[in-house]
Amino acid sequence: MSNLYKSVALLCAMFFTCLVFAQQRTAITGTVKDKQNLPLPGVTVKVKATGQIVSTSEQGHFTVNAAGDDVLVLTFIGYEPKEETVNGRKNFEIILNENLSDLDEVVVVGYATQKKANLTGAVATVSSKDIENRSVTNVSSSLAGLAPGVAVRQGSGKPGSDGATIRVRGTGTLNNNNALVLVDGIIGSMDAVNPNDIESVSVLKDAASSSIYGSLAANGVILITTKKGKSGKPMLNYSSVLSMTNPSNMPTFVTDYVRHMQLFNEGARNVGQANPYSQNSIDLWTEANKNPNGLNEFGIPNYVAYPNTNWGDEIFEHNIVQNHSLSVSGGSDNVNYLLSGRYMDNPGLMHNTGLKRYELRANIEAKIAKFLTLGTQTFASTQLQDLGNTDNLFNYLRQTTPGLYPIYEGRFGGPSSADEAPILNNLMTYLYGTDGNNQTSRFNTTVYAHINFLKNLKLESRINYQTRFQEQDSHTVPLDKWNFADNTIVNPAGLPSTLGISNSFNKDYMITFDNVLRYNTKFGEDHAFSALMGHNEYYFKYYDLNTSKRGLIDATVTTPSSASEMVSTTGSGYDYAYRSYFGRINYAFRDKYLFEANLRYDGVSRFSKENRWGTFPSFSAGWKISEEEFMSAINAIKNLKLRASWGKLGNSRLNPDDKLGNYDYMATYSGVNYSFNDVQLIGLAQNKYANPMLRWEETTQTDVGLDFTSISNKLSVELDYYNRYTDGILTSPPIFLTAGTKSAPTRNTAAVLNRGIEVALGWKDQIGDFQYAIGANFAYNHNAVKKYKGALEEGWTADANGNRIYQSNIGSVSVSDGNQRIVEGYGINSYYVRDLYKGDGSYFNGDGSVNINGGPNSGMIRTPEDMAWLNAMKEAGYSFSPVNGVGKSQLYYGDFIYADRNGDGIYGNTYDLSLTNTRSEPKYTFGINLSASYKGFDFSMIWAGMAGMQYYWNQEGYNNSIVRNGNAIGTRYADNHYYYNETDPNDPANNPGGTFPRLKYNGDDVNNAANTFWLYNASWFRLKNAQIGYTLPASLTNKFSVSRIRFYFTGENLLTFTAFPGLDPELGANVGYPTMRQFALGVNVNF
Amino acid sequence: MKRNNIKISYHSILVRKVCAKKIWLLLLMPMVALTSCVKNLLDTAPPGTIASSNMWTTDNLTDLGVAGVYSALRLGIETGAASGRELYQYDRFVTSQGRDGDAFLQGTATTGDGTVSNVWKELYEGIHRANDAIYNIPLISPSGEEKKARYIAEMKFLRAYFYFRLNQLFKGVPVYLEPVEVDQMTKGRETEQAVWDVIVKDLTDCIDEPNLSEKYAKGDANFGHATKGAAYALRGKTYLYQQKWALAVADFEKVKESGYSLFPDYFELFRAANEQSDEMIFSIQNKALSGYGSTTQFYCGTRSSFGSCWNTYLINPDVVDMYENADGSPFNWDDIIPEYNEMSIDQREVYFLRNNLTDAEKKTITDKGVKLDAYLPDGNEERIKKAYENRDPRLAENIITPYSTYLGREIDGADRNFTSRWPHRNENAPLFDLTTDTRTFFYYLHRKFVYLGSSELPDRTQGPTDFPIIRYADVLLMWAEALNELGRTDEAIPLVNEVRKRAGVGSLNSSAGTMVAGQEDMRQRIRHERRVEFVNEGISFFDELRWKTWKETVFYNGNGVKQIWGKVTVPYVWGGDYLYTWPIPLQERQMNSNLTQNQGWVD
Repeated sequence: MSNLYKSVALLCAMFFTCLVFAQQRTAITGTVKDKQNLPLPGVTVKVKATGQIVSTSEQGHFTVNAAGDDVLVLTFIGYEPKEETVNGRKNFEIILNENLSDLDEVVVVGYATQKKANLTGAVATVSSKDIENRSVTNVSSSLAGLAPGVAVRQGSGKPGSDGATIRVRGTGTLNNNNALVLVDGIIGSMDAVNPNDIESVSVLKDAASSSIYGSLAANGVILITTKKGKSGKPMLNYSSVLSMTNPSNMPTFVTDYVRHMQLFNEGARNVGQANPYSQNSIDLWTEANKNPNGLNEFGIPNYVAYPNTNWGDEIFEHNIVQNHSLSVSGGSDNVNYLLSGRYMDNPGLMHNTGLKRYELRANIEAKIAKFLTLGTQTFASTQLQDLGNTDNLFNYLRQTTPGLYPIYEGRFGGPSSADEAPILNNLMTYLYGTDGNNQTSRFNTTVYAHINFLKNLKLESRINYQTRFQEQDSHTVPLDKWNFADNTIVNPAGLPSTLGISNSFNKDYMITFDNVLRYNTKFGEDHAFSALMGHNEYYFKYYDLNTSKRGLIDATVTTPSSASEMVSTTGSGYDYAYRSYFGRINYAFRDKYLFEANLRYDGVSRFSKENRWGTFPSFSAGWKISEEEFMSAINAIKNLKLRASWGKLGNSRLNPDDKLGNYDYMATYSGVNYSFNDVQLIGLAQNKYANPMLRWEETTQTDVGLDFTSISNKLSVELDYYNRYTDGILTSPPIFLTAGTKSAPTRNTAAVLNRGIEVALGWKDQIGDFQYAIGANFAYNHNAVKKYKGALEEGWTADANGNRIYQSNIGSVSVSDGNQRIVEGYGINSYYVRDLYKGDGSYFNGDGSVNINGGPNSGMIRTPEDMAWLNAMKEAGYSFSPVNGVGKSQLYYGDFIYADRNGDGIYGNTYDLSLTNTRSEPKYTFGINLSASYKGFDFSMIWAGMAGMQYYWNQEGYNNSIVRNGNAIGTRYADNHYYYNETDPNDPANNPGGTFPRLKYNGDDVNNAANTFWLYNASWFRLKNAQIGYTLPASLTNKFSVSRIRFYFTGENLLTFTAFPGLDPELGANVGYPTMRQFALGVNVNF
Repeated sequence: MKRNNIKISYHSILVRKVCAKKIWLLLLMPMVALTSCVKNLLDTAPPGTIASSNMWTTDNLTDLGVAGVYSALRLGIETGAASGRELYQYDRFVTSQGRDGDAFLQGTATTGDGTVSNVWKELYEGIHRANDAIYNIPLISPSGEEKKARYIAEMKFLRAYFYFRLNQLFKGVPVYLEPVEVDQMTKGRETEQAVWDVIVKDLTDCIDEPNLSEKYAKGDANFGHATKGAAYALRGKTYLYQQKWALAVADFEKVKESGYSLFPDYFELFRAANEQSDEMIFSIQNKALSGYGSTTQFYCGTRSSFGSCWNTYLINPDVVDMYENADGSPFNWDDIIPEYNEMSIDQREVYFLRNNLTDAEKKTITDKGVKLDAYLPDGNEERIKKAYENRDPRLAENIITPYSTYLGREIDGADRNFTSRWPHRNENAPLFDLTTDTRTFFYYLHRKFVYLGSSELPDRTQGPTDFPIIRYADVLLMWAEALNELGRTDEAIPLVNEVRKRAGVGSLNSSAGTMVAGQEDMRQRIRHERRVEFVNEGISFFDELRWKTWKETVFYNGNGVKQIWGKVTVPYVWGGDYLYTWPIPLQERQMNSNLTQNQGWVD
């Protein structure tokens, strides 16, 4: 009660004081901080009554003249504005909350920034916080699941080659589908950037947003902006992540050598061939397996001398990835700076495949004069990569057997069975067998000037030079291979005279010169107008030099001069150049109706003079419906905007491999080898047909989008529909075989439509101290070839003599390319395969005649009844393809038979193949992001996935019926294939119901013919990242003059859901260096 | 060079900047300066190739363009794994055997077969290169008229050669004799005869060209270029295919007149030192350099050969048995091992075992059901070696037989004599067992074109020895064949005997076993002679197709890829008579509906 009186008394006192001193303003000081208790410099503080405006200092301090009842208005980009009554205080602290709405967020777009609320194009953004604090080893793979319509797939986990493939809005072309990446406005490499240096990532998806990049932008544009220093006292940030790595998945083979041998003998028996493995070897191993630890006469345990090696496991190591970053940033009124460095050590998942990287950056900007600002973004890095030969390792992973031991007491195993070739692959020798240095360095600097001529007219000019060079020397490490059974060397290491060394150097550099003139003005209150025009020049050059010699003085001496014999010296190069002029006009009426137009005029060296130039316009408009009067009644809506755009983009890249296609418009003759009278000659022959008519590939894209934000900022929705049509696709469709071995000419061939929708949903809320956010994104993309070589027409007709014949123009409307084809009306590279025969198992009709629909229902000949039906079919005049003869080495029990799709009586021949309309590219991509925080704790998760695609997986040693000399056999095949021992119906190995066809030694012309059996659903959904963090209370950290310390636990690729039976759906239908599953501990320290 | 302009322009800007008072105005200059300075920024040119607009415009480019056409002879040579398309690799269909079998031999070949489409493609590549040269040299090249005339004749020879190969395999193919646009290759097939006519016309043009040499002597800088002798030989062979025996005889006589003759030593003939002997009429030029050499060592040699080779191709035991006794009488196993021919094939293995088998080895053998009664622990090797003694010397010269030695190289770097033994124990000292990739099987192995020791070549894929396409022994036997078909058997006999004498086997009509009993007997003897003379030279398969004897020679019941004693590891299956002609590649038929398929092949 007494308190109440005191308060009332105080209030009264203040009231009267105020009355008296209302008009007297005195100096009042304050400090503005964020929720983490860090001072906020540069906050605008306005005294509402007087209009006085000041900014906070580096320490967040401000001083204003205000009266006790004055209201201060604080505004700062990225924070919720706040009104604070002075209430007579003289010195007080104000906390600003971060703005939960991203409407005011400023988005980086081509050659400009724009408030998100005013965007008329389709732009997805990823902020730094989604990329930072991850244990991923590169930027590209960290983008998975974060933006709708941006499909990210990491195809390898090998350090240095682990960058992800990014597809914006599907596969637009049959050509190079990579999005253009610009780092601070300059064409660059995403994975060369330190993730901690990134301020924001924008993905420009529609034509209107990206057409300012004209010819380079057809596959979308990814803009990466690096951080700048902010004025204020120097901020020191240190972050460190240590992560334990495991392969996401491992290939599995039959590791029991006895079983391996029996399966191979089974395969040989199946086709009537001699057993490749002797009973002697089988007995030896069977005996040794009974006592694996028993020692032989040389003191070597049986499990080494008679090994059962699990190669899928042995090749991997468990390592720790380290990632340390340090940055200092700050600035004054005229200068701001950011200096950063990073050290990353990624030892990889296998011996001798690691990578160490060192990076430095300096972003410095200085205001030299009122009208002139100069700055630089300069970046340097170098990386050292180990030389373990993983290419060979994965080539040979399936080309070895469990019958050799990897490494025993420092000695490498060779086969101890006489039945294996002594050179049989010990995979470890690929990892240990090469040594040397492989260093890649980058230097990248931009120097820019901003000149303000007039208040509204500004010139931005910049020059960038960047180079990447790789220096490599490698030499063979001589390794003996031991037969541990009799303790002899089966395959001795090469002598120095046989050892090789190679040295190589390759370099590319590019020069960019970029000028933009900007103008903006307002006519009255209603009309805002801005325009820019620019010019860009770009030159790229690559060259390399490789030498290889043999015959070293000694295995330890590895310079070219110490090798005696020249093996080869090669070198090559290519270059290309762009020149562009571009412009943009923006107009906004009452900030309600928004219009934008872009135009780019591009020239490129890859086309002949006549076809070199292209014009790429775009138009877009936005209508902020929520600003309309009639909407003011609807309180729930804070923002509702409809946008639409149309534009044209080009693509001048002629090949997915940048090295190729740079001169395809001209015919060239290149070197071919011949000799006369033993004199070496480099003869000349055309290696590719030219096409002087080559011209731009053009993409026309229409986009309609709707943005919605609820009044509370809790809910946000972005919807986009797009229609992306690419015409004149640059590719090299196969030509007549009669045209010879020259590469097919590159041509403007096809038209492809990508049409789809993208949805991004966001929800964020705060309940007391508990904040959480959920984001979900989803994209559907429909892909169809619209123009190629005519429509597919097939069917029965009559020839001149009235005979029924089946005709198909598949060969002229498309060209065979493995199991995939490009055909009008179907998705790019739809699978083109046979169906398995599917009968009802009734075999014969009532009258005893063979029932063509009565065959085996599993598509495989399994039983004598099936075989009787097959023979009856043949007698009735039907035949089977690709192999028609019946016999062990031909068509037999355990073999597939194929459907006779066209009804010509030949089951499984050419025209029984059909288009499945499924592809290896996804129809759906999606992601879910969750984040939450409570007091010092924070938590987040990123899920990513793809669906609606299939992989054709039929690979020897993994998922294929062939057992070949010296190869492995995949577990899933071994466990579930057809086998029936005709001489022993009680053979425990009998499995007449097996899913896979019978094993065949050294070849199989029947079962691996392209067919639907080998097509697998490849959809996946993966927990890419999860993170739990804890920030120590400021009260504690301040004692150590540290403003903030956060510890966190994070993981990558933690869970995967997929139906694909192969190694990893992200890797595709093959087996390669797996991606990593990581568990990491990290710390961020801010001073 | 023009790229430096960028640097220069920036530099000049800097200079001007320093001089300028109003710096900011001059900052506008880059835009202007750069656009004007680097006018040709977009005119890039490939740094490693010759633009077609420049091709054939100098004497040097003419020489190199011609070499480029010859280089088409090397298409199909793959150094990663056997392509199956090199000439010697065709022997797998007859006297040689691919160790893993082949779709054509197992009855499973289809019209989509990769070998077929690649052979088609590579031969047409040669044709287009030749057409380019034949068309452009007269129009563009500044070389001397005589040289140009010679080159055109050579290019016609090559074009004829490529069409010849196509016609051998596919019988009647589309004919293009001028450069043709890439989309215009839609012609249908000519008849087989029409293609022979095209070939004969080109070869006749060659023969009529006065500037074309008859023959190049050893060491001539032009050695390896086509000659009149080669044109006569190829035209003669073309006549043989058309059964125009008299014309063939006339051409073969001309080959002899051109100065070609047999080299005295059959074994030495196939070594690099003698690749330019008078016997070599036309050959693919090889040189011991990466991309210039032969692969024969790699695919025919063994792990004991220098470079650790793959024995992808083996010798079919049938050809071993074909080699006659030295006096020319037929070889018979029963003469060495009584009742060998009647014995079960499996049981024969016992005679090939090495001396002093260990108990474990004996167990392995008996586990297979082989009885060791006949095994001689101290004399088994000596007994079997008798089977290979006193035979046609070409047997030992072409084939590594059991318990014979081969000079190979141990991986430690020393040249060693390895011995082919069964079962294999150890390739290292002191045994030096010859080691293959197929150690659980015992095969006859190639010697021809497998190098000795380590000094002959730097790498297993870089053999230096030229590969003969036509040599004089081939001409002699074709000549004999033509004479015999004309009924002039008596004239044919001495020609065959020339070959037999050089080989060191008893001449025809020299003993009871060699008496020629008329035209048909002579026909068989000539065929026999070709099979044993040309092992691993890529001739026999084409012969069998020409004689229509492939089925009897190779696909008799129970034949296959065989171990030495006849045990089949991969059985052969005769698909049908359609195999005598290769299919038109499926892909080409699908693209060009004017192409008809050969009889019996189903797409």
